[in-house]
Amino acid sequence: MTSLPTAVTSSPNASAAVRVPPGLLRNVLTVAHRELRDAIRSRWFWLYTLSFAILGLAVSFVSAAGTGGTGLSGFGRTTAGLINLVLLVVPLMALTSGAASIASDRERGMLAYVLAQPVSRLEVVLGKYLGLAGALLACLSLGLGTCALILAWKGLRTSPASILWLTGLSLLLALAMLSLGMLISVLARRASVAVGTAIFVWLALVFLTDLALMAGALALRLRIETLFGLSLVNPLQVFKMWSLHAVDATLDVLGPAGLYAMDTFGDRVAILFAAALVAWIILPLGAAMALFARRSPV
Amino acid sequence: MMPNAVHPASAFAAVLVVATAFAGQADHAAPAPVSGGRSTLPLGPIGMRIAAASPGDTLEIDPGIYREHLRIDKPLTIVARGDVVIDGGGSGDIVEIVAPDVTLRGFVIRNTGIDLDKENAAVRVLAPRVALENNRLEDILFGIDLREAPDCRIVGNRIGGKDLDVARRGDGLRLWRSDRTLVERNTIHDGRDAILWYSSNVVVRGNHGFDCRYGLHLMFSDHITILDNEFAGNSVGIYLMYTTGVELVGNTLVGNRGPSGYGIGLKETDQFSIRDNLIAGNRSGVYIDGSPFTAAKPGEFTRNTFAYNDVGCTFLPSARGNEFTENNFVDNIDQVAVAGRGALDANRFWKGERGNFWSDYTGYDLNNDGVGDFVHESQTLFENLMDKRPALRLFLFSPAQQAVEFVGRAIPAVRPEAKFTDEVPLMRPVALPAAVVERKPAREAIALSGIALVGVGGLLIAAARTSRRTS
Repeated sequence: MTSLPTAVTSSPNASAAVRVPPGLLRNVLTVAHRELRDAIRSRWFWLYTLSFAILGLAVSFVSAAGTGGTGLSGFGRTTAGLINLVLLVVPLMALTSGAASIASDRERGMLAYVLAQPVSRLEVVLGKYLGLAGALLACLSLGLGTCALILAWKGLRTSPASILWLTGLSLLLALAMLSLGMLISVLARRASVAVGTAIFVWLALVFLTDLALMAGALALRLRIETLFGLSLVNPLQVFKMWSLHAVDATLDVLGPAGLYAMDTFGDRVAILFAAALVAWIILPLGAAMALFARRSPV
Repeated sequence: MMPNAVHPASAFAAVLVVATAFAGQADHAAPAPVSGGRSTLPLGPIGMRIAAASPGDTLEIDPGIYREHLRIDKPLTIVARGDVVIDGGGSGDIVEIVAPDVTLRGFVIRNTGIDLDKENAAVRVLAPRVALENNRLEDILFGIDLREAPDCRIVGNRIGGKDLDVARRGDGLRLWRSDRTLVERNTIHDGRDAILWYSSNVVVRGNHGFDCRYGLHLMFSDHITILDNEFAGNSVGIYLMYTTGVELVGNTLVGNRGPSGYGIGLKETDQFSIRDNLIAGNRSGVYIDGSPFTAAKPGEFTRNTFAYNDVGCTFLPSARGNEFTENNFVDNIDQVAVAGRGALDANRFWKGERGNFWSDYTGYDLNNDGVGDFVHESQTLFENLMDKRPALRLFLFSPAQQAVEFVGRAIPAVRPEAKFTDEVPLMRPVALPAAVVERKPAREAIALSGIALVGVGGLLIAAARTSRRTS
């Protein structure tokens, strides 16, 4: 990485708009690298990493204590607790860091400075996205990796495959939430508004939509296929179902809706989940790029 | 012995009525009539030796593949010397034993017909005191089919069914009116059921059943001992129906997740004792329907471990008179459920000073006597909603579920009634059989995945720090 091309300093007169893809890639990487470095220098990154590792360990130890040393392992509270933790922390982390990125640059006047350089707006958004994605990946893998190491050291039982799956799927969830966060960031005028909106969106995705669906299932007696279809709209639910499917190879633990999904789609249900998450990654990011390219950014 | 039971004669009459009713059903029909006429076929090499032998002889069969159907009509001991394959060529039954005191040992018997109406079987036994030992039955519709063949020994056989849809499979093992039979150390897979019909005083010990419909199925069979078996990955592990007097001890019932998916199902079963079993990862660990059937003896559940089942124990509202003591309830998503309305008042979850171990018990033990200082009450709002609307299971493991549970704890108005109480919950789990504890995923693998993850994070941080040319 020491030989990372630095388009900004090496070719100050080139116009970003007419650059060919290699140049685009270089510019994107430059922005991404800067963003990653800034993120890793920042306090929020280490705060999230540390809290993620500590919470993960707490969840694992508490659930191991719950089994009372029976020596049994299985898809029990450990994985369930970690999924729960990821569902709470990762979207918050990704949404807020995405929301803060462009909006705070704009507020500090950084954005005007960056855009004065020979980089296109698309490159800035994409680069910032990649850089933050890298920071999130570092955060997740450090947090869950430390957790796995300490579990192994203490001899607690967790399946290694499930930890790796959980990390990978958490990253996908983080990418989707980051994408949504960047969209908020592009739309918002001020950083505080962007972060506030992100927190509200987080609240809606984590609690409100699920509670509304639950109420719907109870009051309107929604049909199973409707319930399952609606749950596919929420990326958090998709992440949860995919994690269960990856770790457990089946969804029948989720009762009638899970059985319906397995009966209808079989193992192809994973493709459905992948498609839903990828859509959540691409669509908000695409919208953010389109809006950013059109709007007056500063 | 059965003070409150119905009169034996009337019970028998009732059984006959039920049996005739069942006979009309294709699935659980009484045995099909034995298709005779096999004697008209030309005899193969083993058949000729049987014809030539005198009662009581021992025949040793040389290795080879024998394509023939056998009818053993005199008391003989027939032993395979090496790899002896009897191939049915994909038609009819293969071995039919019509004389008592026959021993068949060490054969590979394979390739029956697939006629479910004629119940094509690898070995059909129609006489008492037959021993089937260490045979391997492959690619068969029915495996071992005992009809009115009491006092038999079925030991050390391996029975593998055909690769058919479950509805078109036959029973790996079937006992029909075959009392006092010993079923020991057999492996049965890819069959329909291993089933006991009207067979009493049978001992089923050390068997292993997987990928079947019912690992073991008791119908109207009394005084059965089921010891140290393992039934894993079947639709249902053990299903007891209309049975009186069952000792079910030391069995392992894991991952039975068919549409019913019970580790142990009890339907109108009476005077049973279920002890020291490991019941894990099933859709429902135990499913109790109308059992115990009479008040002669409480249904006894002692020192079992219910772990990681979707539901630890499901009660139909009709279930009353069960006693649970010293069981471990470990991390079942729903520890105890009532299917339908009603409480579990007629069942007890503690006796004297001993309750059960509940992994979700939140109390503590100040005086250090191993018993929690507070009553264990099961009353979570989400569980309660889930029992009513199973579709809500979709929201398991989500923060929203916990929000609901928090509301249930915080606001007394919506707090559900306690499903059951355990006055003396145990603080420590009751010891498990050693075989269970040994299973753990390799520590190295977890450590390696941890190192790999930390490595990825470290690389990214290093990448961010190295180049500073942009600034």
